[in-house]
Amino acid sequence: MSTLVRRLYLHVPFCARECPYCGFYKHTPGRLASTDFIDALLAELSLRLETVQMIPESIFMGGGTPSLLSRSHWLRLASGLADRIDLAAVREWTLEANPRTFDAAKAEAFRAAGVNRVSLGVQSWAPRTLATLGRDHTPDQAREAWRMLRGAGFNNLSLDLMFSIPGETAEEWQQSLDETLALTPDHLSCYNLTYEEDTAFLTRHLAGELDVDPDRDADRYLETLNRLETSGFIHYEVSNWARPGKESRHNAAYWRGEDYLGIGPGAVSTINGQRWKTLPDTAAYTRAALSGENVRTEVEDLTAEDLRLEALGTRLRTIEGAPESLVKPSAAEEVALLVAEGFLKRRERRLLLTRRGMPLVDSIVGRLV
Amino acid sequence: MSLELTRNFSIIAHIDHGKTTLSDRLLEFTQTITMRQRQDQLLDAMDLERERGITIKAHPVTMLYPAQDGKTYKLNLLDTPGHVDFSYEVSRSLAACEGALLLVDAAQGVEAQTVANLHLANQQKLHVVPVINKVDLPAADLPKVRRQLEEILAIPGEDGIPASAKMGIGIEDILEAIVSRIPHPEVPQDNVLRALVFDSVFDTYRGVVSYVRLMSGSIKRGVQIRMFSTNKTYEVKEVGVFTPKMTARDVLEPGDVGYLIANMKSSTEVKIGDTVTDAQRPCIEALPGFKEIHPMVFSGIYPVSSEDFEQLKLAMGKLQINDAAFSYQAESSAALGFGFRCGFLGLLHMEIVQERLRREYNMDVISTYPGVVYEITKTNGEEITVDNPCYLPEPQEIQEIREPMVKAFILIPNDYIGEMMQLVMEKRGEVTITETLDDNRVMLTCGLPLNEILVDFNDRLKSLTRGYGSMDYEYDGYQAANLVKMDMLIAGEPVDAFATIVHREKAESRGRHLAAKLKEVIPQQLFVVAIQAAIGGKIIARESISAMRKDVTAKCYGGDISRKRKLLEKQKEGKKKMKAIGKINIPQEAFIKVLKTD
Repeated sequence: MSTLVRRLYLHVPFCARECPYCGFYKHTPGRLASTDFIDALLAELSLRLETVQMIPESIFMGGGTPSLLSRSHWLRLASGLADRIDLAAVREWTLEANPRTFDAAKAEAFRAAGVNRVSLGVQSWAPRTLATLGRDHTPDQAREAWRMLRGAGFNNLSLDLMFSIPGETAEEWQQSLDETLALTPDHLSCYNLTYEEDTAFLTRHLAGELDVDPDRDADRYLETLNRLETSGFIHYEVSNWARPGKESRHNAAYWRGEDYLGIGPGAVSTINGQRWKTLPDTAAYTRAALSGENVRTEVEDLTAEDLRLEALGTRLRTIEGAPESLVKPSAAEEVALLVAEGFLKRRERRLLLTRRGMPLVDSIVGRLV
Repeated sequence: MSLELTRNFSIIAHIDHGKTTLSDRLLEFTQTITMRQRQDQLLDAMDLERERGITIKAHPVTMLYPAQDGKTYKLNLLDTPGHVDFSYEVSRSLAACEGALLLVDAAQGVEAQTVANLHLANQQKLHVVPVINKVDLPAADLPKVRRQLEEILAIPGEDGIPASAKMGIGIEDILEAIVSRIPHPEVPQDNVLRALVFDSVFDTYRGVVSYVRLMSGSIKRGVQIRMFSTNKTYEVKEVGVFTPKMTARDVLEPGDVGYLIANMKSSTEVKIGDTVTDAQRPCIEALPGFKEIHPMVFSGIYPVSSEDFEQLKLAMGKLQINDAAFSYQAESSAALGFGFRCGFLGLLHMEIVQERLRREYNMDVISTYPGVVYEITKTNGEEITVDNPCYLPEPQEIQEIREPMVKAFILIPNDYIGEMMQLVMEKRGEVTITETLDDNRVMLTCGLPLNEILVDFNDRLKSLTRGYGSMDYEYDGYQAANLVKMDMLIAGEPVDAFATIVHREKAESRGRHLAAKLKEVIPQQLFVVAIQAAIGGKIIARESISAMRKDVTAKCYGGDISRKRKLLEKQKEGKKKMKAIGKINIPQEAFIKVLKTD
């Protein structure tokens, strides 16, 4: 009997250039997608469909830069998906895009295939910060990309920003928020810069070139919370804000602990208490998937305790909070203390972060485990 | 062999003045041992001893020397530990001798340890034969050293025998001097068994091996002996001498130096300095000089990971079997968990034990700030001693606290006398005598509280004299002082591991120092953390760690969840090693870090 899975993730690991802060599995120019790669994705999907019943309610294409796919590769991928799975139930289909990687025609092709939500990687509106981040687009090009997406009929657009970038002033960040709000986005993801493993940024940070400033982190975050709240956004997860009804269904499913199937090199799947990663090596992946081999690595069977910790760790970050039953009785005193001190609040047997607790959730969860 | 042909002697010297090399030469010259054998023997010695240039325990050796007078003499060389921590052991080894070679480096001259060792030899009324070693060195200055012998040590300068153990110069002169200048053992007044235990080792297979010097009577296998101090009797299993290997003999007679094995299971059963006598026909009085040895320095030793407690306990037991001077007792600390309160003879002894736990037993241990034994007169007249700050009575119950003092001999180049005096003053000491040794060196004799030299005194002495200074000390009784117990409070609660007894005038600076250290290592919390140093209820220093403002992972999507969980697992594990103080959770490593770097 196969398991019904309603969440599909596709990983497209190609980028026009390598951003020095990004820790995702991706490639830089010279190794762009090939027809073989598209076929490999479809082959892996076919293989999974032998054991998984996939009726997606949400699809998320991430990367890398999926919007970098050529129009013909895109069409090959989209029709390949439609051939293999029933897309009738899809309510949200997100594509991650970067400015300068698509034109109006491509945007229309995305839309035509069923994509109804695009997350645009803008990161900043300050030219200096864009340079620090190694982005190759200008603010004008980002605005142009946004207009093309709206022009193609997308009414659910999200925008990615990064804050607390070394060298960026408080004013520059406020201006970035202003510019962002002027575009009336439906959804916003604002990420505190993190030094990820195996990135140029981490190397530069360790060399003392790029700093970490906990006070700056806290200030920017609180400014962001205030600013977006007064602009009518719902803060529904630590780093995510949405207009009412425009919360990401796909991401919310991760946080609720639903099963999801991930396809493509480096993608992670979790189905029936088992988690695995698809082989994170595009060349090897393409070869193996095309010859029908199983490309799963790092397979782990999740115990009840694993799932409890994960649920506590992700659900507390959301507006829905975590059921109190996820906390062991031995941590009851901690809960009482954190509630009394105003970091947590209780609502209908759930624990929710307060405004005070929101920026401190890692420490808070650490005390509840 | 008759008493007249026996000589018992030790070599006393400052570290690096060539004691081991001279011993080797004597053994070679008398053909007791070949060069090759000696090498092998040295290789077997404990690393630690060789590294520190000290000998903790080397067994005695018997040599046969055909002297120029045509007679063959039996020479017993007794080794002595080269450090003041073991001064009682040294004194017992010396008590087993009639004479000592005082070795002085011809280039470096008299050093602090030379002075301290000579004091011990004089106390035992030994005949001292000065040997000026390393005369082959270009920097050797024989006239200067002869002058120092006279001026500092009050020994006729011309008595010094020029020698180079390395080059084999003067070895025969030394042997002749041993025969001619050191008296033979006294003829006993009766034949009642009296043997002085001057050392002991523990052998896994044979149990305790006691090293003895026969003063009167004789001892052989099968007889019942009585240990004078414990009044316990044992049957002798074996007696013998060192040639240099342990070699069984039928009997040990007056003047002999050798070993005896009875049925003793632990080194605590035999006390150094004790008198062995016959169980049937015991002596009336013990040989003079026996003392129960008491630890002078105390410190808590804790396993870094609490799972290692049982293993540490085993290691301590094994150490004590070999080292009766080391004492330990289980204790628990709120901050560090379960560990031991340990007693040591002195600083070096403490370091040796800690190092042996690490090297020989592979234990990862942490030690609390070392302390000394205080004598206290309470207001109700009761006299108590305290070796752990936690047990110090409340201030209002104390009439007087006395602390152990040392008399320190500090030899330094003239140029540093100002800085040195300052250091002594900073350590609450007093320079009582200043003597000029030669054109460029002086010796300061100082009274110092033992507590003040426990931690960094020697290091600072070395660094302020660029390595040229040397120090040795002897214990010098107790003196009243204005001492107080200082607590370190975190979030208002005292943390036992950091309680110390300090001089009132030094409390503030010590408190500030510790508070700053703690601030450095305690991670930020959800709450403000107050760190305070307090005497009684009075806060004398404070620091505070501001509350953490932001601690949140930015991204948490499908591919991040495993990583997130692993982080939580780590936090969960870490929580077990956290010490909760009020609302604050402090990882044990933080405390350990302070103790390690302080």
